[in-house]
Amino acid sequence: MNGKNRKYIEKPIKILLAKPAIDGHDRGIFVLARAFRDAGMEVIYAGLLPTPEEVVETAVNEDVDVIALSLLNGAHMTAFKNVMNILNKRGIKDIAVVGGGIIPDRDKPKLEKMGITGNFGPGTKLSTIIEHVKKRAGEIRKLRENEYK
Amino acid sequence: MNINDLVRGILNGDKRSIARAISIVENSDDEQRKNIIDKIYDYGNSKIIGITGPPGVGKSTIIGNIAPMLSKSGKISILAVDPASPFSGGSILGNRIRMQENLSKYDIYMRSTSNRLYEGGLSEYSWDIIKILEASGSDFIIVETVGSGQSDIDIMNVADLTCVILAPGLGDEIQAVKSGMMEIGDVFIMNKMDREDAYISIKDIMESLQISNKPNTPVIGLNSLTLDNYESFIDFILKWNGKNTERRNIRKIRQIIIERIFTTYSVYIESVDKNKLLGKNPYDIADDIMRNLDGLKNKYLEK
Repeated sequence: MNGKNRKYIEKPIKILLAKPAIDGHDRGIFVLARAFRDAGMEVIYAGLLPTPEEVVETAVNEDVDVIALSLLNGAHMTAFKNVMNILNKRGIKDIAVVGGGIIPDRDKPKLEKMGITGNFGPGTKLSTIIEHVKKRAGEIRKLRENEYK
Repeated sequence: MNINDLVRGILNGDKRSIARAISIVENSDDEQRKNIIDKIYDYGNSKIIGITGPPGVGKSTIIGNIAPMLSKSGKISILAVDPASPFSGGSILGNRIRMQENLSKYDIYMRSTSNRLYEGGLSEYSWDIIKILEASGSDFIIVETVGSGQSDIDIMNVADLTCVILAPGLGDEIQAVKSGMMEIGDVFIMNKMDREDAYISIKDIMESLQISNKPNTPVIGLNSLTLDNYESFIDFILKWNGKNTERRNIRKIRQIIIERIFTTYSVYIESVDKNKLLGKNPYDIADDIMRNLDGLKNKYLEK
Protein backbone atom coordinates (compact mmCIF):
# COMPACT_ATOMS: atom_id res chain seq x y z
CA MET A 1 0.00 0.00 0.00
CA ASN A 2 1.58 3.17 -1.22
CA GLY A 3 5.03 1.69 -0.91
CA LYS A 4 4.89 1.26 2.83
CA ASN A 5 6.20 -1.78 4.52
CA ARG A 6 4.49 -2.39 7.81
CA LYS A 7 7.08 -4.89 8.92
CA TYR A 8 9.54 -2.04 9.53
CA ILE A 9 7.43 0.75 10.81
CA GLU A 10 5.56 -0.46 13.85
CA LYS A 11 6.22 2.02 16.64
CA PRO A 12 9.89 2.84 16.15
CA ILE A 13 11.80 4.02 19.22
CA LYS A 14 12.31 7.78 19.24
CA ILE A 15 15.64 8.93 20.65
CA LEU A 16 17.21 12.36 21.22
CA LEU A 17 21.00 12.62 21.08
CA ALA A 18 22.48 15.58 22.89
CA LYS A 19 25.76 16.98 24.16
CA PRO A 20 24.45 19.36 26.83
CA ALA A 21 27.60 21.40 27.48
CA ILE A 22 30.52 23.09 25.76
CA ASP A 23 31.80 20.15 23.74
CA GLY A 24 32.22 20.24 19.99
CA HIS A 25 33.48 16.70 19.42
CA ASP A 26 30.57 15.41 17.41
CA ARG A 27 32.10 12.60 15.33
CA GLY A 28 31.09 9.99 17.89
CA ILE A 29 27.53 11.19 18.13
CA PHE A 30 27.16 11.07 14.34
CA VAL A 31 28.35 7.47 14.38
CA LEU A 32 25.76 6.73 17.06
CA ALA A 33 23.03 8.57 15.16
CA ARG A 34 23.60 6.37 12.12
CA ALA A 35 23.80 3.23 14.23
CA PHE A 36 20.47 3.99 15.90
CA ARG A 37 18.92 4.80 12.52
CA ASP A 38 20.16 1.51 11.14
CA ALA A 39 18.62 -0.19 14.16
CA GLY A 40 15.25 1.21 13.01
CA MET A 41 14.94 4.13 15.42
CA GLU A 42 13.83 7.70 14.77
CA VAL A 43 16.81 9.83 15.74
CA ILE A 44 16.89 13.51 16.61
CA TYR A 45 20.23 15.21 17.14
CA ALA A 46 20.06 18.38 19.20
CA GLY A 47 22.93 20.08 17.39
CA LEU A 48 26.02 21.55 19.01
CA LEU A 49 25.96 23.38 22.34
CA PRO A 50 22.37 23.00 23.50
CA THR A 51 21.62 24.03 27.07
CA PRO A 52 20.14 21.42 29.45
CA GLU A 53 16.87 23.38 29.29
CA GLU A 54 16.81 23.10 25.51
CA VAL A 55 17.51 19.38 25.69
CA VAL A 56 14.53 18.78 27.96
CA GLU A 57 12.32 21.14 25.96
CA THR A 58 13.17 19.29 22.74
CA ALA A 59 12.60 15.92 24.38
CA VAL A 60 9.16 16.99 25.59
CA ASN A 61 8.14 18.61 22.29
CA GLU A 62 9.22 15.61 20.26
CA ASP A 63 7.93 13.13 22.87
CA VAL A 64 11.02 10.93 22.72
CA ASP A 65 11.35 7.67 24.61
CA VAL A 66 15.05 8.05 25.36
CA ILE A 67 17.46 10.94 25.84
CA ALA A 68 21.04 9.88 25.13
CA LEU A 69 23.57 12.27 26.64
CA SER A 70 27.20 12.29 25.63
CA LEU A 71 30.10 14.40 26.81
CA LEU A 72 33.80 14.01 26.20
CA ASN A 73 34.93 17.06 28.14
CA GLY A 74 34.56 15.87 31.71
CA ALA A 75 31.52 18.01 32.52
CA HIS A 76 29.18 15.07 32.82
CA MET A 77 28.75 15.25 36.58
CA THR A 78 27.32 18.77 36.33
CA ALA A 79 25.72 18.80 32.87
CA PHE A 80 24.02 15.39 33.09
CA LYS A 81 22.84 16.26 36.56
CA ASN A 82 21.33 19.52 35.31
CA VAL A 83 19.31 17.63 32.72
CA MET A 84 18.06 15.22 35.38
CA ASN A 85 17.18 18.08 37.73
CA ILE A 86 15.07 19.80 35.09
CA LEU A 87 13.30 16.54 34.24
CA ASN A 88 12.55 15.95 37.91
CA LYS A 89 11.42 19.50 38.43
CA ARG A 90 8.93 19.19 35.58
CA GLY A 91 7.75 15.86 36.94
CA ILE A 92 8.73 13.90 33.86
CA LYS A 93 9.23 10.25 34.68
CA ASP A 94 8.44 8.60 31.37
CA ILE A 95 11.58 9.48 29.45
CA ALA A 96 14.63 7.24 29.93
CA VAL A 97 18.05 8.89 30.16
CA VAL A 98 21.21 7.06 29.10
CA GLY A 99 24.74 8.38 29.09
CA GLY A 100 28.09 7.95 27.43
CA GLY A 101 31.42 9.57 26.65
CA ILE A 102 34.62 9.83 28.64
CA ILE A 103 33.30 8.82 32.04
CA PRO A 104 35.66 7.56 34.77
CA ASP A 105 34.62 4.34 36.49
CA ARG A 106 34.21 6.07 39.84
CA ASP A 107 31.51 8.39 38.42
CA LYS A 108 29.41 5.61 36.95
CA PRO A 109 27.65 4.53 40.18
CA LYS A 110 26.82 8.17 40.92
CA LEU A 111 25.27 8.63 37.49
CA GLU A 112 23.36 5.35 37.85
CA LYS A 113 22.00 6.66 41.12
CA MET A 114 20.66 9.76 39.35
CA GLY A 115 18.90 7.46 36.91
CA ILE A 116 21.35 7.75 34.02
CA THR A 117 22.19 4.26 32.85
CA GLY A 118 24.64 2.81 30.34
CA ASN A 119 27.47 5.32 30.64
CA PHE A 120 29.45 3.65 27.91
CA GLY A 121 32.99 4.67 27.13
CA PRO A 122 35.15 4.53 23.99
CA GLY A 123 35.46 1.11 22.39
CA THR A 124 32.02 -0.11 23.42
CA LYS A 125 30.40 -2.20 20.72
CA LEU A 126 27.52 -0.42 18.96
CA SER A 127 25.40 -3.51 19.42
CA THR A 128 25.82 -3.28 23.22
CA ILE A 129 24.66 0.34 23.18
CA ILE A 130 21.70 -0.38 20.91
CA GLU A 131 20.69 -3.32 23.08
CA HIS A 132 20.75 -1.14 26.17
CA VAL A 133 18.71 1.65 24.54
CA LYS A 134 16.15 -0.88 23.34
CA LYS A 135 15.84 -2.27 26.84
CA ARG A 136 15.29 1.15 28.42
CA ALA A 137 12.86 2.21 25.69
CA GLY A 138 10.94 -1.01 26.25
CA GLU A 139 10.50 -0.14 29.93
CA ILE A 140 9.28 3.34 29.00
CA ARG A 141 6.84 2.03 26.43
CA LYS A 142 5.43 -0.34 29.02
CA LEU A 143 4.95 2.55 31.42
CA ARG A 144 3.07 4.55 28.80
CA GLU A 145 1.06 1.67 27.40
CA ASN A 146 -2.30 2.05 29.03
CA GLU A 147 -2.02 5.66 29.99
CA TYR A 148 -4.67 7.11 27.72
CA LYS A 149 -7.24 4.40 27.20
CA MET B 1 -4.15 10.88 33.29
CA ASN B 2 -6.82 9.75 30.87
CA ILE B 3 -7.89 10.71 27.40
CA ASN B 4 -10.06 13.60 28.58
CA ASP B 5 -7.17 15.20 30.43
CA LEU B 6 -5.10 14.76 27.30
CA VAL B 7 -7.75 16.47 25.16
CA ARG B 8 -8.06 19.29 27.67
CA GLY B 9 -4.29 19.67 27.53
CA ILE B 10 -4.35 19.92 23.75
CA LEU B 11 -7.08 22.55 23.77
CA ASN B 12 -5.13 24.57 26.31
CA GLY B 13 -2.04 24.40 24.13
CA ASP B 14 -0.01 22.36 26.63
CA LYS B 15 3.03 21.16 24.71
CA ARG B 16 3.42 17.90 26.56
CA SER B 17 -0.17 16.87 25.85
CA ILE B 18 0.16 17.87 22.20
CA ALA B 19 3.38 15.88 21.90
CA ARG B 20 1.90 12.79 23.51
CA ALA B 21 -1.27 12.96 21.43
CA ILE B 22 0.80 13.09 18.25
CA SER B 23 2.74 10.01 19.36
CA ILE B 24 -0.49 8.15 20.00
CA VAL B 25 -1.79 9.11 16.57
CA GLU B 26 1.44 7.92 14.95
CA ASN B 27 1.85 4.71 16.89
CA SER B 28 -1.52 3.26 17.73
CA ASP B 29 -4.43 1.80 15.83
CA ASP B 30 -7.30 3.23 13.88
CA GLU B 31 -9.65 3.08 16.84
CA GLN B 32 -7.52 5.11 19.21
CA ARG B 33 -6.78 7.67 16.50
CA LYS B 34 -10.49 8.10 15.88
CA ASN B 35 -11.07 8.45 19.60
CA ILE B 36 -8.76 11.45 19.84
CA ILE B 37 -9.82 13.12 16.60
CA ASP B 38 -13.51 12.74 17.56
CA LYS B 39 -12.94 14.84 20.63
CA ILE B 40 -10.99 17.65 18.99
CA TYR B 41 -12.35 17.75 15.46
CA ASP B 42 -14.54 20.82 15.93
CA TYR B 43 -11.86 23.02 17.43
CA GLY B 44 -9.44 25.40 15.80
CA ASN B 45 -9.08 27.21 12.53
CA SER B 46 -5.60 27.55 11.14
CA LYS B 47 -3.99 28.59 7.93
CA ILE B 48 -1.95 25.63 6.75
CA ILE B 49 1.18 26.65 4.89
CA GLY B 50 2.92 23.90 2.95
CA ILE B 51 6.62 24.27 2.23
CA THR B 52 7.99 21.89 -0.37
CA GLY B 53 10.97 21.70 -2.72
CA PRO B 54 14.07 19.65 -3.55
CA PRO B 55 16.57 18.71 -0.81
CA GLY B 56 18.98 21.46 0.17
CA VAL B 57 17.20 24.49 -1.29
CA GLY B 58 16.60 25.95 2.18
CA LYS B 59 13.15 24.84 3.28
CA SER B 60 14.04 24.47 6.96
CA THR B 61 16.05 27.69 6.94
CA ILE B 62 13.16 29.62 5.41
CA ILE B 63 10.76 28.21 7.98
CA GLY B 64 13.20 29.15 10.75
CA ASN B 65 13.14 32.69 9.36
CA ILE B 66 9.44 33.20 8.66
CA ALA B 67 8.18 31.61 11.88
CA PRO B 68 9.28 34.49 14.14
CA MET B 69 8.02 37.05 11.60
CA LEU B 70 4.62 35.38 11.40
CA SER B 71 4.38 35.00 15.15
CA LYS B 72 3.56 38.72 15.30
CA SER B 73 0.26 37.82 13.63
CA GLY B 74 -0.63 34.69 15.57
CA LYS B 75 0.41 31.43 17.14
CA ILE B 76 2.68 29.19 15.06
CA SER B 77 3.12 25.44 15.02
CA ILE B 78 5.49 23.56 12.77
CA LEU B 79 5.34 20.02 11.45
CA ALA B 80 8.39 18.77 9.57
CA VAL B 81 8.64 15.45 7.77
CA ASP B 82 11.92 13.67 7.06
CA PRO B 83 12.43 10.45 5.10
CA ALA B 84 12.72 7.00 6.67
CA SER B 85 15.36 4.53 5.59
CA PRO B 86 14.03 1.89 3.19
CA PHE B 87 16.44 -0.62 4.73
CA SER B 88 15.90 -0.24 8.46
CA GLY B 89 12.81 1.97 8.71
CA GLY B 90 14.78 4.28 11.00
CA SER B 91 15.37 7.92 10.24
CA ILE B 92 17.39 10.95 11.21
CA LEU B 93 15.17 13.94 11.89
CA GLY B 94 17.41 16.90 11.21
CA ASN B 95 15.06 19.80 10.50
CA ARG B 96 15.00 20.97 14.04
CA ILE B 97 18.64 22.01 14.15
CA ARG B 98 18.06 24.82 11.64
CA MET B 99 15.18 26.32 13.59
CA GLN B 100 16.12 25.55 17.19
CA GLU B 101 17.26 29.07 17.96
CA ASN B 102 13.89 30.69 17.33
CA LEU B 103 11.65 27.94 18.66
CA SER B 104 12.03 28.54 22.37
CA LYS B 105 12.42 32.30 21.96
CA TYR B 106 9.02 32.68 20.27
CA ASP B 107 7.29 29.81 22.08
CA ILE B 108 6.68 27.83 18.90
CA TYR B 109 5.70 24.17 19.00
CA MET B 110 7.64 22.11 16.48
CA ARG B 111 7.42 18.42 15.78
CA SER B 112 9.65 16.34 13.52
CA THR B 113 8.20 13.16 12.11
CA SER B 114 9.45 10.43 9.86
CA ASN B 115 7.46 9.71 6.71
CA ARG B 116 7.64 6.03 7.71
CA LEU B 117 8.08 5.13 4.05
CA TYR B 118 4.82 6.76 3.01
CA GLU B 119 5.20 8.21 -0.47
CA GLY B 120 4.33 11.68 -1.67
CA GLY B 121 6.35 13.86 0.72
CA LEU B 122 4.22 13.65 3.86
CA SER B 123 3.56 10.90 6.38
CA GLU B 124 0.42 8.82 6.57
CA TYR B 125 -0.87 10.56 9.67
CA SER B 126 0.06 14.13 8.78
CA TRP B 127 -3.64 14.95 8.59
CA ASP B 128 -4.20 13.81 12.16
CA ILE B 129 -1.15 15.66 13.43
CA ILE B 130 -2.29 18.86 11.70
CA LYS B 131 -5.71 18.43 13.28
CA ILE B 132 -4.13 18.21 16.74
CA LEU B 133 -2.01 21.31 16.09
CA GLU B 134 -5.11 23.11 14.83
CA ALA B 135 -7.07 22.23 17.97
CA SER B 136 -4.22 23.53 20.11
CA GLY B 137 -5.09 27.03 18.94
CA SER B 138 -2.52 27.61 16.21
CA ASP B 139 -3.23 30.41 13.76
CA PHE B 140 -0.59 29.18 11.34
CA ILE B 141 0.62 25.63 10.83
CA ILE B 142 3.75 25.37 8.73
CA VAL B 143 4.19 21.94 7.17
CA GLU B 144 7.56 21.05 5.72
CA THR B 145 7.68 18.09 3.36
CA VAL B 146 10.46 15.62 2.77
CA GLY B 147 12.99 17.09 0.35
CA SER B 148 10.91 16.29 -2.69
CA GLY B 149 11.32 15.08 -6.22
CA GLN B 150 9.20 16.02 -9.20
CA SER B 151 6.38 13.64 -8.27
CA ASP B 152 6.03 14.36 -4.54
CA ILE B 153 2.89 16.44 -4.63
CA ASP B 154 0.87 15.20 -1.66
CA ILE B 155 1.28 18.59 0.05
CA MET B 156 -1.17 20.20 -2.43
CA ASN B 157 -3.90 18.01 -0.94
CA VAL B 158 -3.15 19.12 2.58
CA ALA B 159 -1.99 22.74 2.59
CA ASP B 160 -4.16 25.81 2.15
CA LEU B 161 -1.19 27.56 0.62
CA THR B 162 1.47 25.53 -1.17
CA CYS B 163 4.88 27.21 -1.47
CA VAL B 164 7.41 25.56 -3.76
CA ILE B 165 10.96 26.50 -2.78
CA LEU B 166 13.63 26.43 -5.48
CA ALA B 167 17.22 27.54 -5.81
CA PRO B 168 19.31 28.64 -8.80
CA GLY B 169 21.06 25.95 -10.77
CA LEU B 170 18.43 23.26 -10.57
CA GLY B 171 17.84 23.15 -14.31
CA ASP B 172 16.92 25.08 -17.43
CA GLU B 173 13.55 26.08 -18.84
CA ILE B 174 12.76 22.50 -19.85
CA GLN B 175 12.87 21.50 -16.19
CA ALA B 176 10.65 24.47 -15.41
CA VAL B 177 7.83 23.39 -17.75
CA LYS B 178 7.71 19.79 -16.51
CA SER B 179 4.66 18.44 -14.75
CA GLY B 180 4.41 17.48 -11.08
CA MET B 181 5.97 19.71 -8.48
CA MET B 182 6.29 22.66 -10.87
CA GLU B 183 2.50 22.79 -11.22
CA ILE B 184 1.36 22.69 -7.62
CA GLY B 185 2.75 25.96 -6.27
CA ASP B 186 0.46 28.80 -5.23
CA VAL B 187 3.68 30.73 -4.99
CA PHE B 188 7.22 29.92 -6.11
CA ILE B 189 10.15 30.99 -3.97
CA MET B 190 13.63 31.36 -5.41
CA ASN B 191 15.96 31.09 -2.43
CA LYS B 192 19.69 31.91 -2.49
CA MET B 193 19.25 35.05 -4.58
CA ASP B 194 22.90 35.92 -3.90
CA ARG B 195 23.95 33.09 -6.21
CA GLU B 196 24.98 33.67 -9.76
CA ASP B 197 22.22 32.99 -12.32
CA ALA B 198 19.47 33.59 -9.76
CA TYR B 199 17.68 36.13 -11.97
CA ILE B 200 17.89 33.86 -15.02
CA SER B 201 16.32 31.08 -12.95
CA ILE B 202 13.48 33.39 -11.88
CA LYS B 203 12.97 34.34 -15.52
CA ASP B 204 12.73 30.65 -16.52
CA ILE B 205 10.11 29.96 -13.87
CA MET B 206 8.11 33.07 -14.79
CA GLU B 207 8.17 32.20 -18.47
CA SER B 208 6.92 28.69 -17.89
CA LEU B 209 4.16 30.03 -15.63
CA GLN B 210 3.15 32.44 -18.41
CA ILE B 211 2.24 29.56 -20.68
CA SER B 212 0.66 27.42 -17.93
CA ASN B 213 -2.88 27.54 -16.61
CA LYS B 214 -1.83 29.68 -13.62
CA PRO B 215 -0.10 32.65 -15.31
CA ASN B 216 -0.56 34.96 -12.30
CA THR B 217 1.32 32.80 -9.81
CA PRO B 218 3.90 35.01 -8.12
CA VAL B 219 7.59 34.19 -8.03
CA ILE B 220 9.43 35.67 -5.05
CA GLY B 221 13.19 35.82 -4.72
CA LEU B 222 14.64 35.50 -1.20
CA ASN B 223 18.06 35.81 0.32
CA SER B 224 18.07 33.84 3.55
CA LEU B 225 21.44 35.16 4.67
CA THR B 226 20.40 38.81 4.70
CA LEU B 227 16.61 38.23 5.05
CA ASP B 228 16.24 40.28 1.86
CA ASN B 229 12.69 40.49 0.47
CA TYR B 230 11.20 38.32 3.24
CA GLU B 231 8.59 41.00 3.91
CA SER B 232 6.93 40.43 0.53
CA PHE B 233 6.69 36.69 1.23
CA ILE B 234 5.15 37.36 4.65
CA ASP B 235 2.70 39.83 3.06
CA PHE B 236 1.70 37.22 0.54
CA ILE B 237 1.09 34.61 3.26
CA LEU B 238 -0.99 37.01 5.35
CA LYS B 239 -3.12 38.09 2.38
CA TRP B 240 -3.79 34.52 1.22
CA ASN B 241 -7.19 33.25 2.27
CA GLY B 242 -7.74 30.16 0.15
CA LYS B 243 -8.99 27.10 2.01
CA ASN B 244 -8.37 23.52 1.03
CA THR B 245 -10.51 21.63 3.54
CA GLU B 246 -12.43 19.60 0.97
CA ARG B 247 -9.40 18.12 -0.70
CA ARG B 248 -7.71 17.54 2.64
CA ASN B 249 -10.63 15.54 3.95
CA ILE B 250 -11.09 13.52 0.78
CA ARG B 251 -7.44 12.52 1.03
CA LYS B 252 -8.01 11.42 4.60
CA ILE B 253 -11.17 9.44 3.81
CA ARG B 254 -9.27 7.62 1.09
CA GLN B 255 -6.44 6.84 3.52
CA ILE B 256 -8.77 5.58 6.24
CA ILE B 257 -10.54 3.23 3.88
CA ILE B 258 -7.33 1.95 2.31
CA GLU B 259 -5.86 1.39 5.76
CA ARG B 260 -8.90 -0.44 7.08
CA ILE B 261 -9.05 -2.73 4.10
CA PHE B 262 -5.31 -3.30 4.19
CA THR B 263 -5.21 -4.09 7.94
CA THR B 264 -8.06 -6.51 7.45
CA TYR B 265 -6.54 -8.35 4.54
CA SER B 266 -2.83 -8.10 5.33
CA VAL B 267 -3.16 -11.18 7.54
CA TYR B 268 -4.29 -13.12 4.50
CA ILE B 269 -1.64 -11.63 2.24
CA GLU B 270 1.13 -12.77 4.56
CA SER B 271 -0.36 -16.22 4.98
CA VAL B 272 -0.48 -17.03 1.27
CA ASP B 273 1.14 -20.39 0.57
CA LYS B 274 4.71 -20.02 -0.78
CA ASN B 275 4.15 -22.59 -3.53
CA LYS B 276 1.05 -20.79 -4.66
CA LEU B 277 3.03 -17.55 -4.98
CA LEU B 278 5.37 -19.08 -7.53
CA GLY B 279 2.80 -20.92 -9.58
CA LYS B 280 -0.26 -18.71 -9.61
CA ASN B 281 -1.18 -15.40 -11.23
CA PRO B 282 -1.22 -12.60 -8.58
CA TYR B 283 -4.62 -11.43 -9.89
CA ASP B 284 -6.12 -14.81 -9.03
CA ILE B 285 -4.56 -14.86 -5.56
CA ALA B 286 -5.90 -11.37 -4.85
CA ASP B 287 -9.36 -12.48 -6.01
CA ASP B 288 -9.21 -15.42 -3.61
CA ILE B 289 -8.25 -13.19 -0.70
CA MET B 290 -10.85 -10.53 -1.45
CA ARG B 291 -13.58 -13.13 -1.63
CA ASN B 292 -12.97 -13.78 2.03
CA LEU B 293 -15.08 -10.96 3.42
CA ASP B 294 -15.25 -12.26 6.97
CA GLY B 295 -12.43 -10.10 8.17
CA LEU B 296 -14.01 -6.87 7.00
CA LYS B 297 -17.39 -7.76 8.40
CA ASN B 298 -16.10 -8.64 11.82
CA LYS B 299 -13.99 -5.59 12.21
CA TYR B 300 -16.02 -2.64 10.95
CA LEU B 301 -19.34 -3.42 9.36
CA GLU B 302 -21.03 -4.91 12.39
CA LYS B 303 -20.17 -2.06 14.70
